[in-house]
Amino acid sequence: MEAVLSDVVAPEDLKKFEKKYNNELLKGAVSKETKFEYAWCLIRSKYTEDIKKGVLLLEELVHKSSKDDSRDFLFYLAVANYRLKEYEKALKYIRTLLKNEPGNKQALELEKLIDKALKKDGLVGMAIVGGIGLGVAGLAGLIGLAVSKGAAKS
Amino acid sequence: MTAAPYNYSYIFKYIIIGDMGVGKSCLLHQFTEKKFMADCPHTIGVEFGTRIMEVHGQKVKLQIWDTAGQERFRAVTRSYYRGAAGALMVYDITRRSTYNHLSSWLTDARNLTNPNTVIILIGNKADLEAQRDVTYEEAKQFAEENGLLFLEASAKTGENVEEAFLEAAKKIYQNIQDGSLDLNAAESGVQHKPSAPQGGRLNADSQPAKEGCSC
Repeated sequence: MEAVLSDVVAPEDLKKFEKKYNNELLKGAVSKETKFEYAWCLIRSKYTEDIKKGVLLLEELVHKSSKDDSRDFLFYLAVANYRLKEYEKALKYIRTLLKNEPGNKQALELEKLIDKALKKDGLVGMAIVGGIGLGVAGLAGLIGLAVSKGAAKS
Repeated sequence: MTAAPYNYSYIFKYIIIGDMGVGKSCLLHQFTEKKFMADCPHTIGVEFGTRIMEVHGQKVKLQIWDTAGQERFRAVTRSYYRGAAGALMVYDITRRSTYNHLSSWLTDARNLTNPNTVIILIGNKADLEAQRDVTYEEAKQFAEENGLLFLEASAKTGENVEEAFLEAAKKIYQNIQDGSLDLNAAESGVQHKPSAPQGGRLNADSQPAKEGCSC
């Protein structure tokens, strides 16, 4: 699953599906298939802006589809948000998929990785808050020491 | 995660292709986990698996991309064919339609890989003899006519699953040995890892630094 998350689209593929998408857009209507193909390439781009554009397309697709055929879109929305480090959103999408399909092995594996990333983020956050806390406590201690010393002097 | 020391000499890239429901993911799962996945949902996009196996005394790491068989994924999954050293082209021996579509899968495989890519035809679900819809002989003939390796296998019982991946790997290794596969070619699908010196394992990252390159 890690390989799927870190897989990067070849620039020529992204260009190819972008062209197909734009051609249909010019003619007035983009098919669901074309939109999905382009979105799947976008979210595998190394550029954040591409991934965000892919997310928008996938969200449009989810809104217009039934529960049964939204699984692909939900899965790649989770992948895209993972790549954007938006782990909370990623978790929301993968859990929606799992609600419809509780035993899906790909989704379960992805959920595990998102959970892990979230916990890691949480630990880092806690370390930062903890660090600040320690700093404040240290400072208070120093002030306390200075005050008590000052008090002792007078 | 730190880079683990590698204990293999080559990496071969594989792809698994074929109609939906022929058991591509189950073959991969049986190969990497040695378990049969009953009631397996259709793959979303692509899946990935690895396993190290011994080929003619050399440790080879197989990196396997398992593609979804559903039509809506087909255009994009084609990009995963690029740079594959081996391809497992799978049909279901109990469903003739999956066999009839092989020429289309083969055309894709030929057009999108390099001339040295080893393609092995796999007739899966060989345990379901009573429901057989494609004879061994005709598939064997199709394979011979098209220069493909061929095996019937069962992801359920595990029969010939190991062999399927191994036969392709042996052929790739043979192509390396006789020089027909150029390791330096960008899309050979093979990476050579210089083996670790005696007694020690080398870390992929630390190797160049340790050597003190004089070039």
